[in-house]
Amino acid sequence: MTTPAPQSDAGNLSTFNILHGFTEALVRGMRSSFMKDSDYHHMTQCDTLDDFRLNMTETDYSESVADIPNLTPSGLQEAALEKMVTEFKYLRTQAVEPLGQFLDFITYEYMIENVMLLLKGTLSGRDINELIAQCHPLGMFKESTMRSVPTFEPGPRGYDDLYQTVLVDTPVGPYFAQFLQDSAVHGGSRNVLEEVEIEIIKSSLIKYWIEDFAAYCSKLGGETATIMGDLLKVRADTNAINITLNSFGTPLNEPGMRFSDRKRLYPAVGHLYPAGTSMLVDVGDEDELGRVLELFPQYSSIWGVHAGGGSEKSIDDAFYERDVQQLELAFEGQMHFGVFYAFVKLKEQEIRNLVWISECILQGQKDEINKFVPVFSQHAPWRKSGGRR
Amino acid sequence: MADSTCTSEFCNAGWAEILTHMSPYGYANFGIAFGLGLSVVGAAWGIWLTGASLVGAAVKAPRIRSKNLISVIFCEATAIYGVIMAIILANKVKKPDEATYFLDEDWDFPGFYYAGYGMFSAGLSVGLTNIASGVSVGIAGSSCAIADAQDPSLFVKILIVEIFASALGIFGIIVGIIQSNSCTFPIAPLE
Repeated sequence: MTTPAPQSDAGNLSTFNILHGFTEALVRGMRSSFMKDSDYHHMTQCDTLDDFRLNMTETDYSESVADIPNLTPSGLQEAALEKMVTEFKYLRTQAVEPLGQFLDFITYEYMIENVMLLLKGTLSGRDINELIAQCHPLGMFKESTMRSVPTFEPGPRGYDDLYQTVLVDTPVGPYFAQFLQDSAVHGGSRNVLEEVEIEIIKSSLIKYWIEDFAAYCSKLGGETATIMGDLLKVRADTNAINITLNSFGTPLNEPGMRFSDRKRLYPAVGHLYPAGTSMLVDVGDEDELGRVLELFPQYSSIWGVHAGGGSEKSIDDAFYERDVQQLELAFEGQMHFGVFYAFVKLKEQEIRNLVWISECILQGQKDEINKFVPVFSQHAPWRKSGGRR
Repeated sequence: MADSTCTSEFCNAGWAEILTHMSPYGYANFGIAFGLGLSVVGAAWGIWLTGASLVGAAVKAPRIRSKNLISVIFCEATAIYGVIMAIILANKVKKPDEATYFLDEDWDFPGFYYAGYGMFSAGLSVGLTNIASGVSVGIAGSSCAIADAQDPSLFVKILIVEIFASALGIFGIIVGIIQSNSCTFPIAPLE
């Protein structure tokens, strides 16, 4: 819809390597840089952050932590993220179309996050330099673009001006334009541009991004369309369920708002679309949400985790586990683009794990330390040989 | 179609006449060209399939560089089969001792045509099988390089897959040699 269709498809088993063989082999080589079970084991045994840092020097992160004398969780996150971004940029520079456009799609998500961060920060009056330092490195715009985001005024024409002057040249511009169009159509007479919350803008932009990405992948065809289609559907459903869950207790849950506003946030792709999302529109509280999710077997078990009290695991943890299982499957087949998306997402999960472990060590909460989802683990629940159906 | 059939003695009677009246020298030399050309296409296809993955996987795991050149060597072997067949066939093409305008009446026409057709099909046998062999060795070699970079014990096991794939090319050259074995071009009329 907004992004033009790819000029050529990804290529099948015998032609993929012409253009993308090198980059695919690169990213598969980077698979060996993920931390193994033994690394995680050593790190959870550490008592201080210095021990933790020592263990890190034996993994692939040795160069990243070498320049940091005193390791803190946030410093660790920055260093690990920078390493992932360097690897991603290396892949992006070696990529040929249509892989280049595919990799750009992965970065659009972070661009949306950055734009929202800048807007939110401006509205609460924070300094632009501080905000730019906090932006996700994969989604950076030009310096001038980012500095002009805070100059817009949160007035009736504020968002329109913001789009026309700043965002129209960026890749996320089309998503913003669609959002404005939709709000103008549905908002009617009320001054929707003033009252709309930042979270709703972000959910709408992510929705358009997922739909655009899914359309692009299905035009690529072949194995890529199959694997990415599945991954994005699951992503869209996670978003839909989270939007519904987070809306309980906010004005978005009022019967009047549900149909007009909440429904517009659900992406038009996914296993839950269209039957499930139309049912989710009417959901008012957690029991009704549970009843709707019972109808979809893949989500009923995740919902069970949340409904069961959430003391051991939260619903976010259940979603992360399911995501890691599916993303690892993307590495199983060759000659498709899914590995690139899976690599970025699994690296993100690993960084989350590292930050969690280091936070637990810092705060001395050793009993919580094992609540992370390891990547490519031999002990993963879905890899256990017992209990096969 | 009957209306447009030409009845003059200078028109041909369709594809059947064209194909049967083509010179055996033409058939034989096209066979040599197909044999060599298609084998080289297959080998080249296999080499870039495996080479691209080999180069990329060696960035993070440099130890795989030398071992995985075996995959490239297997692909190269299919091109060698094509060259062998082409040389064998090219040596069988002989020109007549006397350069006459028309061939004599007691020329060995059966043997003449047998040689032409035999060498054409021998070339096709080798060429087409080597395309298939080259592509399959290439894809297997690409996966072999990537797998070896992760786990060195997988190399020998995947190499066995490549050996079977490369056997396809050997089938082609064996049959090709049998087909062209008794093909000889006559060089003089039968006594």
